[in-house]
Amino acid sequence: MNAMASGHALHLDHLSLPFGDGRGIADFSLSVAAGERVVVLGPSGAGKTSLLRAVAGLMRIDSGCVRVGAVDVTGLPPERRDIVYLHQSPVLFPHLSVAENVAFPLRVRGQRGQAVHARVLTALSAMRLETLGRRDVGTLSGGQRHRVALARAIAARPAVLLLDEPLSALDPTLRNDVRAAIVAAQEEYGPAMMLVTHDLDDAAFLADRVAVLLDGRTAQVSSPAQLFSHPATLAVARFLGLYQEIPGRIRADGGVDSPLGLLAAATLRDVAPASGPVVVVVRVEELRVGSPCEGVAQGSIVAFRQRPRGATAVVRLADGGNGFELEATLSASEPSPTIGDAVGVSLDPRRSLVFPADTLPCST
Amino acid sequence: MNTGVAGTASRSLASLRAVLLVLFALTSIGPLLVLVVQSLGGAWFFPALFPEHWTLGAWNLMKSGDALPGALGTSVGLAMATAIVACTVAIPLGRALARLRGWPRHVAAAAAFLPVAAPPLALGTGLQVMLIGLGLGGSAAGVLIAHSVPAIGYLTLLFLGTFTVFDARVEDESRTLGATRAQTWRRVTLPLLRPQIAEALIVGFLVSWTQFALTLVVGGGEVRALPLEVFAYVRAGQDQRAAVGALLLVIPPAAAFVWLRWAARRTVVPFS
Repeated sequence: MNAMASGHALHLDHLSLPFGDGRGIADFSLSVAAGERVVVLGPSGAGKTSLLRAVAGLMRIDSGCVRVGAVDVTGLPPERRDIVYLHQSPVLFPHLSVAENVAFPLRVRGQRGQAVHARVLTALSAMRLETLGRRDVGTLSGGQRHRVALARAIAARPAVLLLDEPLSALDPTLRNDVRAAIVAAQEEYGPAMMLVTHDLDDAAFLADRVAVLLDGRTAQVSSPAQLFSHPATLAVARFLGLYQEIPGRIRADGGVDSPLGLLAAATLRDVAPASGPVVVVVRVEELRVGSPCEGVAQGSIVAFRQRPRGATAVVRLADGGNGFELEATLSASEPSPTIGDAVGVSLDPRRSLVFPADTLPCST
Repeated sequence: MNTGVAGTASRSLASLRAVLLVLFALTSIGPLLVLVVQSLGGAWFFPALFPEHWTLGAWNLMKSGDALPGALGTSVGLAMATAIVACTVAIPLGRALARLRGWPRHVAAAAAFLPVAAPPLALGTGLQVMLIGLGLGGSAAGVLIAHSVPAIGYLTLLFLGTFTVFDARVEDESRTLGATRAQTWRRVTLPLLRPQIAEALIVGFLVSWTQFALTLVVGGGEVRALPLEVFAYVRAGQDQRAAVGALLLVIPPAAAFVWLRWAARRTVVPFS
């Protein structure tokens, strides 16, 4: 949250809007405080872009209300909402220079002269573009185009900034550059900022809070840390893709019978209250490959996978596990195993979560 | 042996190519050269290769009170007005058609194509009935409306193509940056479409400029545009005057060709 925030918050109340051939987005509610960055995270095709366009006034909504501060802007045209929407790839006006692009929102508000010049210079400086004011926008690099679009938004000083997948299709170096520019843009005057992305890294880096959009509904709103450590539902956990799922059945005493054996209730962080089938989810890095006599279950390695943060092994559990396969992290301190080696799999049950198998959220 | 046969075939092909090029030059440039010579020639009778003497007499008619300058003025006025009217109608129409999807789009595009494809005489006959009913038969306003019908068809198809590929995100961006619909049109869309609008104005001008049948049928001989005047000179055997009038008819299309070639090299607009 930005300490400089002085603008208005964005409130979305029970928004429903059409999207694709399905039922669209239903009953979406979210508030973004001035100076706050909220990331709407969802899979491709979830309707994230439609949501932003609807908030910006560029597409109709079926019901609900958009408020900026205390003002209901639902029925207002885009130019009167005090909301700037930035497209996924920066859309600059090709017939205007960099400085003229940045001055555009001021010119259309009837501002002229030195005041415009000063605001443009401030916005260009904030985005480290001071030397490019006279450049033709067609000659800019991808990162520079993003920064010009952000500088233009800063010059407009809207209460709300909407960014549609601002980092997709950028190489890693450029991503860092644009991420920094987004943070700098907000620090300039503290607007309420709402971004949409399907990228977990971007969400973790940029968000004060994350709203997960699944099947047209808000599945979870929380801090990034809370989201990644404690997904609210099995569907959210599956979307995050960070977890190994282990099927099981809850017992009367609260323990879970699983291919890894009996996981005691006392050591499971969350236990679904109902009896019947459950899914235990545990982050892959919490499942570790060790020597055959260690761990909660034994099996043999059937494949290796290289992940960005290290190698993992696919382990087929021995008889007790009915041939169940799971992915576990290789320990750097252990000698490198080979395919077919017998190994043990250990996990810290306190860091695993239990959900009913029907994906309904479990209470803790 | 084979090399010899291949060589002969290659030479024959080259000769054929040269003959085709000469024929092409004769048919495309030949008539224009004849017009130039005819307009400057005193007396030119077959089989003489050139006129007996050269004179600017026919061109001097342009300075006198002859019918030719008046017809030129009528044609220029009609063509400019047609271009402006057609462009004004075709831009919003083309944009609206570009937003249609499925069969409505096909039907609308076919409707725009109809006046373009219909023979001008048939179009003129139908329009004449309507325009006489409106009291516009034999008037410049009636001819302007008649010329505008095929011109709107052409330009609507042109703007349908333009707006189909136009990146409308620039307009969205402009609106959320605070520009009203009118400001977005004036400050963003119009500047970006300037090359296409210039092109459309030229096409609209030329559609009117070359109309003979529509002017004759709807104007009823009262509206003396340049093509009608040239035709009258041809029928009267006034070859020099006909040549001058015909050359005047050629100038705008030739100038348009040169301009369009030049403009095509410098057009850079945000089309997806």
